[in-house]
Amino acid sequence: MTTQEGQVFDLGYRHYEGPREGRARARKALFVNGVRTCFGLGRGGWAKVLPLLFLMALMAPAAILAALAGLLGDTFVAEALDLPGPADYYGIVWIILMLFAATIAPELLCPDRRDGVIDLYLVRPLSAEDYVLSRWLSFFAVSLIFIYAGQALLLTGLALGAGSATTIAPGISSPASSLTDYLRDNWLDIPRSLASGLAIAAVTTTIPLAAASLTTRRAYAALAVIALFLTSLTVSSILLEEVEQVGSWVRLIDFGGITLQVNDLIFDQYDDGDNRLPPVVAVAWWAVVVAVPAFILWWRYRRLVT
Amino acid sequence: MATLLEARNLTKWYGNTLALDDVNFTVAEGVTGLLGPNGAGKSTAMKLFLGLLVPSDGSAMVMGEGSYENVAARARLGYMPERDCLPTAMTATEFLTHMAQISGLPPSEARSRTADVLRHVGLDEERYRSIGEYSTGMKQRVKLAQALVHDPVMVFLDEPTAGLDPVGREEMLALVRRTGREFGISIILSTHLMGDVETTCDSIIVLEGGAVVESGDVEGFTTESETVYIDVDGDAAGLLDALAARGLSASADGVSIAVESVADAEYDAIRDALAETGLRLRRLGTRRRRLSEIFRE
Repeated sequence: MTTQEGQVFDLGYRHYEGPREGRARARKALFVNGVRTCFGLGRGGWAKVLPLLFLMALMAPAAILAALAGLLGDTFVAEALDLPGPADYYGIVWIILMLFAATIAPELLCPDRRDGVIDLYLVRPLSAEDYVLSRWLSFFAVSLIFIYAGQALLLTGLALGAGSATTIAPGISSPASSLTDYLRDNWLDIPRSLASGLAIAAVTTTIPLAAASLTTRRAYAALAVIALFLTSLTVSSILLEEVEQVGSWVRLIDFGGITLQVNDLIFDQYDDGDNRLPPVVAVAWWAVVVAVPAFILWWRYRRLVT
Repeated sequence: MATLLEARNLTKWYGNTLALDDVNFTVAEGVTGLLGPNGAGKSTAMKLFLGLLVPSDGSAMVMGEGSYENVAARARLGYMPERDCLPTAMTATEFLTHMAQISGLPPSEARSRTADVLRHVGLDEERYRSIGEYSTGMKQRVKLAQALVHDPVMVFLDEPTAGLDPVGREEMLALVRRTGREFGISIILSTHLMGDVETTCDSIIVLEGGAVVESGDVEGFTTESETVYIDVDGDAAGLLDALAARGLSASADGVSIAVESVADAEYDAIRDALAETGLRLRRLGTRRRRLSEIFRE
C-alpha cells in the first residue's frame, strides 16, 4: 500500500495583473478605515467601549423623553411639564456630543502623524487634500450617525406615543388616528432634525479635527477642544449676566451656543429677544466657526508636502 | 534598460540650507544604491521622487512623470522609510490589506496580495499578531511588505538595515536581493553602509554635500580600481622608499603594502624594488578593492 505524502509548492513571486482603481479606491478605503476607527472596529475590546458609551449617553435622554411622552400622552401633566421635543433634543445632548467629538475625532489624525503612517499614505495615489477630506467625511458620517440616532428614537417614540395615547375623554380620536394626526402636525420635525443635524455635525467634526491637526497627541487635542467650548460658554454667560451693556454680540464667542442658535432657527424657535443675535448674523457666524477650522485643517496638511 | 528615474537640475532648499544642489542623474532598471554620509541628500532625493517634497528648482521624474504633480504616478511606487511608520494596534494582515487598497487594489485582491507578500517576507505565521508585539526585524519586514503589497515597478528603501543585528541585517539584505533579482522589482537603496551596497546593488550614485560625486556600476568601481598588495617578512619601510624611488604610489595598509593602479609594465619595477631591499616576499597579488576603501580616500 502506498501513501501519498503532502507536498508544498513554492509558486514564487507572482506579479499583480488585476484592476487598479487609483485615487477613488484610495479615498474610499481611507473613509471606511476612518469610520471603523471611530467605532473601535479591528482593535481590542476597550476601543469599542468609549464609542458605545457615548452612543448610549446620547440615546438615553431621547429614550426617557419618548417614554415619558408615551406614558403621559395628552394629559394635563404632560402639558404642565412642557416636555422637551425634537427642537430641544440637540440642546440637551450638546455637551455629550461635544465630549464625543473631542475624544474620538483626534483618533483619526493624531496616530497617523505620530506613528509616521502619514508618509506611507502620501506616497500612494492620494494627495494630502484627499487624505484630510476622506478623514473629515468619515468623522462627519460617524457624527451624523450619533446625532441622528437619538433624534430618530425621540421622533419615533413621540409618534408611537401619540398613536397609543390613552383616551381620557369621550370624543377623542382612536390611537391610529392620533398617530396620523401627530405625523400631519409634526412632519416638519423630520427635515428640520436632518438639517439641524448637518449643521451640528459640521461643527463637531471640523473643530476637533482642526485641533488634532496641530498636535500628535490625542489627549492634547481633546483637552483643547473641551477647553475651547467650555471657556467660550462660560465667558459669554458671565458677560451676559454681569455686564449690562454687553448686548447680544457677546454670543459670538460662544462657539457651541452659535450652533444651537442655528438649530433654533431651523426649528423656527428663534426668539430675537433675550440677547439673541440677528438670524443672518447667527448663520454667518456659524459658517465662520466651520470655515476657519476647515482652513486650518487644509493648511496644516497642505504643509506636509512642501 | 529603461530609465525609471531622472533628476534634472534638481535643487532643494530647506530655508537657508541647500540639501540638493543642481543635481542631474538617471536611474535605470535594477538595484541602485544611493550612497553617502548622513546629510548628503539621499533621503531628500528619494522624497522628491516620491512626491513627499516639492523641488525648489528642476524636476524629479518617475517613469516620465512628476509624482508631486501627478498623484496617479505614485500607484506603481513603493516606499520603505527609515523611521517608524507602522500602526502598533493593527495586525500585519489588516495593515497591509488597507495599504494595498490605498494603492488602488480592490478589497479581495488586496487580501490575496497581502497573504502572498507576507509569505515572501517570512511573516506568514505571525500575520495575525499586533504589529506592536513584533521585534525590530519583523517590523522591518512589515515595512518592506507594505512597500511591495501593490506590486510596484520600483521601491525606494531608506536604510532598510537600520537598527538590525548582524543576522537580521543579512536576512534583510537577502530579501532585498530577492526583491530585485527574483521578483524583478527595481530598487533604490539608500544607505551609508557601503557593504550593503556592494553585496546588493548593480549600480551606485554617490552623494555628498547635496551633489553627485560618483556614479556608475558597482562592478566597474571595484574592477577598475585594482591594487597590488605585497606582504613581506621584515621591515617594510625600506620597500616603501624603493617603490617611491621608482615612481610607484605605495602605502602601508595593515600588514600589507598597497601599490595603486599598477600597469603591466610596472610589475618589473616592483620586482626590482623587492630585490633591492632583499626582503623575503610572502605574497604579491591583486584583489578587488571594497567600496569602503575607494570612498574612504
